[in-house]
Amino acid sequence: MTNASLAPRTGVETPALRLTNISKSFGSTHAVKNVSLKIPRHEVVGLIGENGAGKSTLLKILTGLYQPDSGTIETDGRPVKFRKPQDAVAAGIGVVHQEQSLLSNLSVAENIAMNALSSKDAATSYGFYRWKRLNQEAAAILARVGSTIDPRTKVSDLSFVDRQMVEIARALRVDETIHAAPLVILDEPTSVLERNETAILEREIRSLRDIGSVLFVSHRLDEVLRICDRVVVMRHGEVVADVRREEVTEEELFRLMIGQESRARVRKGGSAAGAVAAVEAKGLGRKGQFKDVSFAVPAGRSLAIVGAIGSGRESVCRALFGAEAFDAGTLEVAGRPVQGWSMRRAVRHGLAYIPSERKVEGMVGGLSAAENLTLVHPREAAKGPILRRKARMKAAEDWFERLDVRPRDPRLPLGRFSGGNQQKVVMAKWLRAEELSVLILDHPLRGLDPGASQTVNDQIRAAQDDGAAVILLPDTLEEALEMADEIIVMRDGEITARFDLSVDSPTSLDLLEKMV
Amino acid sequence: MSKKALLEQPAALPAAADGKTKSARRRPRNLWFTVGPFAVFLALFALVAILRPAFLTGGGMAILAVQAATILLVALGQAMVLHVGSIDLSNAAIVIFAAIILAQTLGPLGGIAPIVTLALVTVIGAANGFLVAFGQIPSFALTLGTLGILQAASLVISNATTVYATANNQLLAPLFGTALAGLPMAFWVGVVLAVGLWAFLRFTRAGEGMTAVGLNETGALFSGLRTRWFKVVAFALSGLLAGVAGILVIAQAGAASSFGLGSDLLLPGIAAAIVGGTAITGGITNPINIVFGALTVALVPIGAAAVGITPQAQSLVYGLVIIAAVALTMGRGHNEVVK
Repeated sequence: MTNASLAPRTGVETPALRLTNISKSFGSTHAVKNVSLKIPRHEVVGLIGENGAGKSTLLKILTGLYQPDSGTIETDGRPVKFRKPQDAVAAGIGVVHQEQSLLSNLSVAENIAMNALSSKDAATSYGFYRWKRLNQEAAAILARVGSTIDPRTKVSDLSFVDRQMVEIARALRVDETIHAAPLVILDEPTSVLERNETAILEREIRSLRDIGSVLFVSHRLDEVLRICDRVVVMRHGEVVADVRREEVTEEELFRLMIGQESRARVRKGGSAAGAVAAVEAKGLGRKGQFKDVSFAVPAGRSLAIVGAIGSGRESVCRALFGAEAFDAGTLEVAGRPVQGWSMRRAVRHGLAYIPSERKVEGMVGGLSAAENLTLVHPREAAKGPILRRKARMKAAEDWFERLDVRPRDPRLPLGRFSGGNQQKVVMAKWLRAEELSVLILDHPLRGLDPGASQTVNDQIRAAQDDGAAVILLPDTLEEALEMADEIIVMRDGEITARFDLSVDSPTSLDLLEKMV
Repeated sequence: MSKKALLEQPAALPAAADGKTKSARRRPRNLWFTVGPFAVFLALFALVAILRPAFLTGGGMAILAVQAATILLVALGQAMVLHVGSIDLSNAAIVIFAAIILAQTLGPLGGIAPIVTLALVTVIGAANGFLVAFGQIPSFALTLGTLGILQAASLVISNATTVYATANNQLLAPLFGTALAGLPMAFWVGVVLAVGLWAFLRFTRAGEGMTAVGLNETGALFSGLRTRWFKVVAFALSGLLAGVAGILVIAQAGAASSFGLGSDLLLPGIAAAIVGGTAITGGITNPINIVFGALTVALVPIGAAAVGITPQAQSLVYGLVIIAAVALTMGRGHNEVVK
């Protein structure tokens, strides 16, 4: 693409996008606090931050999915309000999400057209495609973003990178054309790409810079430093740094991202080597998710698995509980290899799984809290096949008291409780087991307020003291360093590091280095 | 949504989970599910009583109960299947199949014949459930298939004619020959079964497990419940109750054919279950209310005739009742995805 075809560089001082003091909270959680940043034309800006740093919320504000509580957004120097996603697209902001959303059985041109099809669109006539026109337009738009894909190709025949380019083209198509100087937001685009594909995408991003600007969200710091002109770092909902690439090293970005380094305290008691593992994975693998995962957790010990999105750690936990199959290696529970593993078998062996998708997997919202509490391990709430409703209500009231669940009425449908109180009941439902051998927790504190988090953590520790092996997928590295006896780091489906906290005392930086 | 899709959903972001808290709450147990069925029956009954006073004085209630008895049994079975989130389109065909088998075996086997018949249709129902639960075949498609198979089987074993029960008819006579409180025993059999199912759902672990499956199958699965077997049980019950309805057909008519008494129970059965407060989305049903659902549905033709709708258009009324009842009871707004 030559300079002649570039959009006129209107006033270098006016950035394509400027955010001033943007804030957004959900209940008592400040997801985004007073964020100000600008994205100048012809610049690639990187946005980095840990999970929960507020990146996603900020992106949703930029794309019109959320309205900010306060603050202003300006495009080309004019204040704008994005009430719906179409407003953001009309302002030239296109976002390419991590998960691809193209319809693979349609052609490239159809996919591109789909985003903004309307009755007055010239590419259709009375609801029918005008194919020639449709393909011409698609080709023109693809050319704008610097791609030479034939618009008649079926999406399923494209490589991943090419699909990403189609996504970009589609995201930017407004009324048969493309904004003069679009802003493209790429949300972790490289996490699904192979190495050589990443290189191609980098080239494509640079060509996008010639026509507009790019906001590149990633957690791979080496990539961010290679691709971006400037890097914005978010932590706890705030922008903590906004630096030019030349002024910063990867090491410094790490520190900015995680803030104060926390270091694990050395555990007393030493390692429990020699004891029979409550659960042991030997070379466990699942195609496309994780491979060669081995670890053993003895009774009364806790293991935290940390990793970025795409590390495969969630999949490992689900395989342990029988919610996903594994196709390589063996899983041993209480020293014996398991056969025909299923969730039901797992429950009968004393395994418990607290899923991150609480509402879908963790509970039955339509049943009362008391019913949910005794669904897995009825114990005194049933005599053989017959329920004992009074005994159950008493047990439920005891648990409500112990965990301070509010409102204190176990008869209410569990779906009506707040997230934190739901999570307490979900915990209790597993802790009721006669013999809890393994407690698997997938982001147990997600979305909880500090009080509920405290209660949940106390329960995890109590279960561990009672002899349960704990496997934890924490939200933050601090949580791992605080709760675990041993930490495993995973990246791209493989274990990259192990830390026995009775011997080592790694910092969050040590962990992060192995994650990205 | 397929099970796989559910399992592989990416973890929600905290903010998104927060937003969900408000919208994903279960619809409240609205009034319809508790007193609605009785109120609807009462209203329709009053209408009929006003338009046709002879209905009250002329033993209309007993006739109504006779009509309602088979509908009630089919509706109870349907409700159990709806309760686990599936549907059984074959249970009305099972009624005829059971009636024909019974008509042929009642002479030679005597008192064992009803037991043999019930065992057979329970196995057929369980097979439906087994294929749905373990074969992962959507119940709508599967039972549509078994509907066709059973209809053909009924035609073949009856040679497409009416099969008469030639002996031992007296064994079944008390069902319609004796009455309690002015209503035939057959109706009370249905009522007792309804109470039994109510107690099963309310007081047993299996019943509660079935409720959990209907409300949130994934959640039940992750609680280690035997969700598949619960489905098998629901379909087996549907088969069993259809078999009891088949016995009533023979008790009432002494004969069965593919086109005779009891051959058009599918629509009234579903209508009675839904008018009886069963949620088509699963997990909510009260078998006792289905008694009123069945009475209402049995009253519909009488009421329709009273307001001047020809008997030929009966199914039109059933169809409208189903659509209206579902439209009124679906907790819309939350569910954009409808199958």
